[in-house]
Amino acid sequence: MENQEQIMSDSLVRIFENVVLTEEKSLQAGYFSDLSIAEMHTLTAIGPYQSRTMTKTAEDLGITTGTLTVAIDRLVKKGYVIRQRDTKDKRVVRISLTRNGKLACRMNSKFHRVLAKRILEGYNEEDREHLIKLVEEIDAYVEEQLHKYDNTSNIRETATEVARTSKKENSSNG
Amino acid sequence: MDDIDSRSTQTGDDKRREKVFDDVIKLLSENMEISPTEITSDLDLNTDLPFDSLQLYEMVIDLEEAYDIRISDEDLDSVKSIDDIVDLIVRLT
Repeated sequence: MENQEQIMSDSLVRIFENVVLTEEKSLQAGYFSDLSIAEMHTLTAIGPYQSRTMTKTAEDLGITTGTLTVAIDRLVKKGYVIRQRDTKDKRVVRISLTRNGKLACRMNSKFHRVLAKRILEGYNEEDREHLIKLVEEIDAYVEEQLHKYDNTSNIRETATEVARTSKKENSSNG
Repeated sequence: MDDIDSRSTQTGDDKRREKVFDDVIKLLSENMEISPTEITSDLDLNTDLPFDSLQLYEMVIDLEEAYDIRISDEDLDSVKSIDDIVDLIVRLT
């Protein structure tokens, strides 16, 4: 059991790191070498279709609007994003992708799809369905853990819970 | 009466398809700097045209804007030839 936990833990961390690293290297080697991974993720959050507000985009990325403003300034300069005032409410700033921004966004989504395709290709239909089900469960569980940190009071609750669980485990092991 | 109706619909569909086909050829020839006369409907996008995925997406974005449609990556999976692209756009519009 302990060995299984170690393998699972190591693999999860490695998968995350290697996907990001591969994505970064493919970006550097490709047409959009002037974009960082964080910038590519900002483009993906804006999406290739309708314009979006700064507030909603920052919320989706889990960053402040101040941080997003700095990132958008750079992306506007690089020619990937257009910033415009809302036609109905002039106080609202809307952002959308330029043609180049749309291209980068779609190429990046292709990168992820090809990666998934190659992984799934190695399995038969039954195993594929099983694998997808398990991965979805892991995804949902990790997402649930993330939401525990949505506000600071929850961080404290989670920390207390972790402390309580570890204490219980330690006392049962000892 | 039914026959005449179906014939006229058929003609309308044919004309629509022809218009989409012309648009695709125009976009392709502009983006890839090939003469429109060199592009035929049965050409394979991967083997017959010097087409990489960036150029494919350039065309997709132009077509999405021209027809106000969304072409997903799943839709693109089934696209192999110029004919397939034309059929896809006709289906989505």
